[in-house]
Amino acid sequence: MVVGNIILRLRGSLEFKCQLDSTDVPHVQKVISRTFEALGSQVKAESLVLSLSSSPVFLWPNKGGHATAGEISPNRPCKDLQQLIQTDDQESSRKKSAKKDKKNPTAGIINLTLMTEVTEPGVLSAPTLLRGSKKHHLLQTTLPMDCVVSVLSSESISVVCGTLVGALCSQLSDMEKVALRHMKGTALLIPQPFHFLLPAPVGLVTVVYPAGVPDSQLETRRKELHSLFELPDDRPYLRRANALHFPDEPYKDGYLRNPHVHLNHPALENGKPYLVQGVYSYHHYMQDRVDDNGWGCAYRSLQTICSWFQQQGYVERAVPSHKEIQQALVEVGDKQGSFLGSRQWIGSIEVAAVLDQLLGVTSKIMFVSQGSELASKGRELANHFLSEGTPIMIGGGVLAHTILGVAWSETTGQIRYLILDPHYTGAEDLQVITEKGWCGWKGPEFWDQNAYYNLCLPQRPKTI
Amino acid sequence: MGRGYIVEDVVEKYLSNLSVPGASCVTGLLIGQSSSQRDFVVLAVRTPQKDTEGQGSPSVSRGAGNSLEHLDVEWVTEHARQVSRMLPGGMSVIGVFLVTPPELSKEGQNTLRRLIFAVDKHISKGRLWSLTEEDVTEKVTLHICSKTRKVVCRTYDVRDPKSSAKPADWKYQSGVCTSWPLLTCSVGLNLVFPVLEMHVLPQDMEKCMKEGLQTWAKQIEDGLCLINGDAMPGEVELLGGQKKNAKAVQQTFRAQILIPMAEPQSERRLTASVKVCSGSLTLKGMVQCRAYLHSNKPRAKHATEVIKRDVINTVSSRVEMFLEDLLMEGEDKGSVGVQQVLPRRVFAPVPGMSLCVCDYMFPDECVSDVSDRLKEMLDWETPEDSIDTSQEAVPEAPTIDLKNTVVQKNLKAKSTLDARPKTPSEDPTEAHKSHKTYYAGVAMAAAIALLATGTSLIYLSD
Repeated sequence: MVVGNIILRLRGSLEFKCQLDSTDVPHVQKVISRTFEALGSQVKAESLVLSLSSSPVFLWPNKGGHATAGEISPNRPCKDLQQLIQTDDQESSRKKSAKKDKKNPTAGIINLTLMTEVTEPGVLSAPTLLRGSKKHHLLQTTLPMDCVVSVLSSESISVVCGTLVGALCSQLSDMEKVALRHMKGTALLIPQPFHFLLPAPVGLVTVVYPAGVPDSQLETRRKELHSLFELPDDRPYLRRANALHFPDEPYKDGYLRNPHVHLNHPALENGKPYLVQGVYSYHHYMQDRVDDNGWGCAYRSLQTICSWFQQQGYVERAVPSHKEIQQALVEVGDKQGSFLGSRQWIGSIEVAAVLDQLLGVTSKIMFVSQGSELASKGRELANHFLSEGTPIMIGGGVLAHTILGVAWSETTGQIRYLILDPHYTGAEDLQVITEKGWCGWKGPEFWDQNAYYNLCLPQRPKTI
Repeated sequence: MGRGYIVEDVVEKYLSNLSVPGASCVTGLLIGQSSSQRDFVVLAVRTPQKDTEGQGSPSVSRGAGNSLEHLDVEWVTEHARQVSRMLPGGMSVIGVFLVTPPELSKEGQNTLRRLIFAVDKHISKGRLWSLTEEDVTEKVTLHICSKTRKVVCRTYDVRDPKSSAKPADWKYQSGVCTSWPLLTCSVGLNLVFPVLEMHVLPQDMEKCMKEGLQTWAKQIEDGLCLINGDAMPGEVELLGGQKKNAKAVQQTFRAQILIPMAEPQSERRLTASVKVCSGSLTLKGMVQCRAYLHSNKPRAKHATEVIKRDVINTVSSRVEMFLEDLLMEGEDKGSVGVQQVLPRRVFAPVPGMSLCVCDYMFPDECVSDVSDRLKEMLDWETPEDSIDTSQEAVPEAPTIDLKNTVVQKNLKAKSTLDARPKTPSEDPTEAHKSHKTYYAGVAMAAAIALLATGTSLIYLSD
């Protein structure tokens, strides 16, 4: 997110309704296009109203940004709108730790909803009733509009309103293209917008995909977009799972995401941190009503890795349960049937096998005969995080952990490991997890210096 | 603790001036507003006569004697329903009165009870908005002895069929409604209702429109209402700024209603729904809305409620009237594909008060018809020039096919319109129609005119 910019997000539903007198393709396409055109006019009408979420403010973007609240006039900078939003910050600040969340960009997002004023005076006359008697197919749905614009916080409200209406119009036009492209007979797939934060200089983009068509069938479209945005063609950026997760929308599944971003990274002389890329969920003991205290640590590390592949868009399958993990191992012949339902530990080899069996992901295995050797693996680990950026599962002695990053100095040889500990048995409390070191930086003394260790380094599939 | 009714002086005058010949009984309606603390009555209207055979009890058939058993309850309730349509938001029929000779006073109480329940039931039919917990469901019954002019005032809770009469206060006062705030707005409509099975029968049209309007009414009910451009929290007092001893003046507030552009889909659909339809109904245009609040500390939430209800009522009333009209004239050949004008709303002042009532004019009616109806329904004379027909613009007339026959029919229709009065017995074509429809004469003529203009050329084209 660009500093000094504000993000405005406008959401709402538009009613899409059209009458098809015949089902031959040219007619259908003409009617659909005309309906989208009419929606475009609706969006530019003076009766369009934007409701500023959590506030009593309403804006009329097509009347120069006129607003209800007296203090807001159209030439005020749009950042003034933020002050009118009544957040429940009073509540959440009590829960937040003293170590304030620096990386929280929630303050920068202004949410708006689409509304219409039915009392907007027009030049209409007293009501008339028209009865049509042509047989037709009535197509009806609501379009889930979701526009995001990034503007300078000093930009005036009236200009920002114009930008938002423009965004609505161009989204309608994108939706029309998607609808027509994927239409079969009278089946109109609902176009759905997704937002992606692409690497600089591209930034925030919105792509419309048709509902019900899986990512696997949309590869051609993604290839076009990758080429348009000059994105590398070997890793996904535009799968639905890659969609930007807005900071003000809590994840509904209850797992913590990327707890490591709340930590201070170690400052090593001539060294820097090399971290996991993207988003993962923290899986640990006792979650999902499974009491795996004492035996499930590797399973949990594996779950964390699977969550990474799911959230980066490589797979659509959900994170596997302990049962499913054991089932997979039996299926590949690694374990006997008696393994199912047991509390047997697994190691890096098994983790790699499951990743292959369930996710189609291959892994590199690294072996150290003594824990003390890990101190010299700085370069290798750093390279892994640079090129693959996936979480690493490490098993040895009697414990399994997840390595999320390494801080390493080439000159001094100093090394630190960013560890996500699956042995945590408490609730999803970010403060406890970061302060008590369940997610934290450890030194080389963390490892059992005499035990041997296996590391599973998952490799990214080369696909978009 | 009974309710307290504050009643305009003019009502007292009206009731005492009611001509009640001999031993007959007179029924009528009481119109006003109820708030949680107080109730206000601003108008009293006697039930109009059913036939033109001179004077005599309008709702008791001649020769029936003094019994109240022959009271035509349906006639009274139908009058109440027609009058309800003429009241802007906030105002409603909140009670009934009955004048009887002294010997029928006791029986009169039972009659009043029957009447008030029947009236409330009938006027609530077809209502597209729902009552809330805060709505007052007590209605008033007033019994007046024709000899002593003694007044007995009781209320019943019409929500409870077993409720018993509770005594209430009846107090006359002047200037009850002089400072009643007025809310206005005009609402644009552009509604398309699909018709799954297209018959030209009005009953099917009615069902289709009712369902569509129900959805629209819910949107309005749930919508946000701004008052004078402000989104006031519901508990804010509307008249908060007024000084206590300031001269009571009627304030006007502008209402704006905001609704989401569409309701998001409830089910997780992947494709647009497809319905095979044999036709459609398109309702387009603008309606003028008005509502009054009382002056007893009204709050913003009451204001938004009354104006929204008026919006919903005015649309459903005129659609109802249009459909009733169609029902009367039977099969409407040739009006499919034609843009038909719904009755438009006109306003008329209440004599001696700063309130107004409304009426609906069919396309080929004129101001004198409105004036006649006001006399019939509300029992007062209205000078034609005080009737405001400018609030809703006349839609552009559909191009008329200038065949001579059509033009002649039109002229004939017009002359029928000017003739009065339009009672069933006079108009020979009316013989088959129900005696209950007050608009019979005028509507019939209007229907002829509609058929005539039915040859006009607006057809649904793609």
